[in-house]
Amino acid sequence: MMKAGSNVSRARRRRKETLTGLLFVAPALVGFLVFYLLPTLRAIQISLTDWNLMRAPKFVGFANYTKLLGDENFWHSAWVTFAYVLYNIPIQTALGLLLAVLSDRLARAVSLRAVIIAPYLISNVVAALVWLMMLDPILGLVNGFLEIVGIGRQGFLASPDQAMVSVAAISTWRHTGLTALLFYAGLQAIPRHLYEAARLEGAGEWTMFHRITLPLLRPVLAFVLVTSLIGSFQVFDVIAVATAGGPSNSTRVILWYIYENAFKFNKMGYASAISVVLFVTLILVTLLQMRLLKADQSDLT
Amino acid sequence: MKTITPQAALGYLVLAVFVFLSLLPLWMALKIALTHPSDVYTSAASLTPETFTLGNFLRVMGLPSDIELTASRASPIDFMLALRNSVIYTALTVSGQIFFSALAAYAFARMSFPGRDLLFFAFLAATMIPSMVLFIPNFILVKQLGLLNTFTGLVAPTILMTPFAVFFLRQFFLSSPKELDEAARLEGASQFQIFWRIALPIQKGPIATLGILLAIQSWNEFFWPFLVGRDASVRVMAVALSDFMSQTGRGNPDWSGLMAAIVLSIIPVITLLVVFGRQIVESLQTSGMK
Amino acid sequence: MKRHLIGAIAATTALTSLSPLPASAEDVTLTYTMWDGNQAPVYRQCADKFEAANPGIKIKISQDAWDNYWTTLTTSFVSGTAPDVFVNHLSRFPEFLTNGVMVDLSERIAADQVDMNAYLPGLAEVWNKDGQQWGMPKDWDTIALVYNKKMIADAGIKEEDLKNLDWNPKDGGSLEKLLAHLTLDQNGKRGDEPGFDKSKVAVYGWATDRTDGYGQTQWSFLAVSNGFKPIDKAWGTQYGYDSPALAETLTWQRDLALKKGFALSQEQTGKLNATAIFAAGKAAIVPDGSWNIGTYRDASKMEIGFAPVPKGPEGRRSMFNGLADSIWSGSQHQDEAWKWVKYLSGSECQTIVGKAGVVFPARPEGVTAAEEAHKAKNLDVSAFVMLATPETTFPFPISDYASEISTVLTTAVENVLLDKGDPATLLKDANDQVNGMF
Repeated sequence: MMKAGSNVSRARRRRKETLTGLLFVAPALVGFLVFYLLPTLRAIQISLTDWNLMRAPKFVGFANYTKLLGDENFWHSAWVTFAYVLYNIPIQTALGLLLAVLSDRLARAVSLRAVIIAPYLISNVVAALVWLMMLDPILGLVNGFLEIVGIGRQGFLASPDQAMVSVAAISTWRHTGLTALLFYAGLQAIPRHLYEAARLEGAGEWTMFHRITLPLLRPVLAFVLVTSLIGSFQVFDVIAVATAGGPSNSTRVILWYIYENAFKFNKMGYASAISVVLFVTLILVTLLQMRLLKADQSDLT
Repeated sequence: MKTITPQAALGYLVLAVFVFLSLLPLWMALKIALTHPSDVYTSAASLTPETFTLGNFLRVMGLPSDIELTASRASPIDFMLALRNSVIYTALTVSGQIFFSALAAYAFARMSFPGRDLLFFAFLAATMIPSMVLFIPNFILVKQLGLLNTFTGLVAPTILMTPFAVFFLRQFFLSSPKELDEAARLEGASQFQIFWRIALPIQKGPIATLGILLAIQSWNEFFWPFLVGRDASVRVMAVALSDFMSQTGRGNPDWSGLMAAIVLSIIPVITLLVVFGRQIVESLQTSGMK
Repeated sequence: MKRHLIGAIAATTALTSLSPLPASAEDVTLTYTMWDGNQAPVYRQCADKFEAANPGIKIKISQDAWDNYWTTLTTSFVSGTAPDVFVNHLSRFPEFLTNGVMVDLSERIAADQVDMNAYLPGLAEVWNKDGQQWGMPKDWDTIALVYNKKMIADAGIKEEDLKNLDWNPKDGGSLEKLLAHLTLDQNGKRGDEPGFDKSKVAVYGWATDRTDGYGQTQWSFLAVSNGFKPIDKAWGTQYGYDSPALAETLTWQRDLALKKGFALSQEQTGKLNATAIFAAGKAAIVPDGSWNIGTYRDASKMEIGFAPVPKGPEGRRSMFNGLADSIWSGSQHQDEAWKWVKYLSGSECQTIVGKAGVVFPARPEGVTAAEEAHKAKNLDVSAFVMLATPETTFPFPISDYASEISTVLTTAVENVLLDKGDPATLLKDANDQVNGMF
């Protein structure tokens, strides 16, 4: 259709788009540079030093990184974190999806979603406080119930074998509603006529979920998975309140180990080195995950 | 109405379990708040308060109450002031962050300019930085700028963007139809007009959702306000709660007082959810009908 | 960048010090920070008196819970916003000394002829290193047994008998007999009766907080009375956690819970600490520190009593922990800060603190005041006070790397109590790791 002068106008349009694009990004970019990039560079720099916060940092090259390789506490914390992610992500995502689909199908009242999201309204710290009371081995409500039904008392957060699962459960309790809400928002973007057409063709609930819902939810699913994975690797608040890394180091996740080094042992350099390693790992995992999920494409377009 | 199939019945049952589990801990917090401090442990495993009292709420708000603790307490915390501070902090963070992040997210999703993907990836990568390491450098920066104990210092790191918000909105801009944009462009609308008049309103649902998420997050934000905003004039609710909890020294926290303060602190967020919840649903339903 | 960072800190500090001080009559405000919220209002009383006597100096008291206290303090050292005077703990003393964040008070003490013998023996000395004094004695704490009077009476035991308990790691002495008798299962059978069901215990004889590496309120008094020496000397570099005396003690404690069912096991001890278990009527005796007297009073409706820790093979021993007030080396008002610290450690303030009955002050007159205050509320706290002598106490182990060491030791002791391996081996491994840090 457009032939004459199209090259010139396209070039002009592109230049203009570049300019507007940069202008749109500018404020966020400033925030990014000053409060993310700059401190990250500082952290990388600190990771090359021996710094206890109170004295001038001493340059030590890559000593912190070499120490890291042979630090069994670091590897233990990496393993514990991985276990937490394994407990947390699949359950939370599956429950969130189930909840979203159920409320989309059966009960679209606002009040239901308001109730489901309620746990997310309170902070991790508060959630941990309430749950540690409910899960107390001797005085807690949950153990009172288990004793009545004959299962018997459990240690939960006080037991080295159950503490990590309990922490994951608290976190799942708080976040499932949020995950469900995100999925629910995504479900609303799926054109209803697709379902009607499928139903006319005699498709059941499962087929519709499998063939329509899941593929079309992919961008949201990608978002949920990426953010909750990153969040899970950085689990901290619940552990700080409920277990402080114990019992017997069973919940000493990587962020708790960083915290211990930074603020308890005052080894800022070492703490920064672990953070940098965690950071790089997360980037790699996310890249992999995004590739697998093709997060940028929705099957709708 | 439809008849309820067994499948649906099972669905309702699952929903009911979710509702129960979601609310139980919140009920327990309220229950403890209504319990006399000396009964907290004896009645820890029961669902209802053994002795009913409003005294904990009264004493937390600094009003005279019938509950007297022998161990003396540090100066009472002005929770009303903290509430005001939390509102200011949350409102500033949420509105600023959404606006600026939406601008960026729109550009990332809809425009092409050199370095776009690299920049977006840098933003995304920033989500993965453990916030623990950002705190100290940012704290020193804010201190150098003379912004300790000011709202500017409190909101500085988050008002312009968070990687999460940019990422979230970009996903929605990506999946919304482009035809409207094109039509407006042909009518001669500027890029900002398209963004402001067309692209943004379409995303009303997601933006409301994000707004709520961010509001909750800011409302509960602890470590950063704890580092830079300890002064009562800017101390937010989460920090006030921690200060209240810390007044009990090395023993157990004052559970009933703590829970009363917590319940007070969630009321505004619940109100927000109720008010905005309707709006979300409406916008979601309109976007769903298209 | 690091130079940049430190340079910037230095520059900001310099800026603050250069900023034109408002002419003459402006007040100097000193910040004083502590972790115990129960004490803050009491020290406010001291501050009011001090301000009245020292026009021109104002005191601002701030407070942070133990968990946040050290993070906040360290960050504020870095950013140059630290309090002028802070309450100091022995576990942090070596680290703060190495990093030069405290002021040496010895010259000021000499100049003002402050009598350093006016405190309970040992309290001033622990804060002295090579003739330099880094803190003025504030208060102290010891450990005693807290007991539920009704449970003791119901079990047919005289309170007097609790004062003469003995203990050894072989058969647990009269302490173990007592604990067995106080333990009740759900059928009302006592621990020393036939048919006692240790899997269905309703009331435990003994409960402690979750253990930490030092066992201050959990087991240190037993282990040391059995001949255990946590560290070779103050400022030592050789920890003694490989000692058989400790392994024996912890093995006894482990079996008391796991084999006999007379005590709460580690796995049954949640974050709701022993105070809560006691207040809920689930335990008859809890060993705890004197700083918690008020908490027990508040949290429980039952009548409580205090008995001294039992006599071990080497006598009665309690950890004796002395706190002090230190001045920050970056304070702009060190002269005024010294005046305040001197007042805090003086007779007037310590008597005020004693009368409030929240802690035991470092001066004997303060201790007397505290005892009387408790007596007025019908509490006999002599079990804590009688042990505050050099012969019946041992100090908190002072050494470098305290936080890191504590983490290693905590895990080792937890593992022993959870029966995760041979006690002697677990403890020896941890001890080697700790001694390897020096």
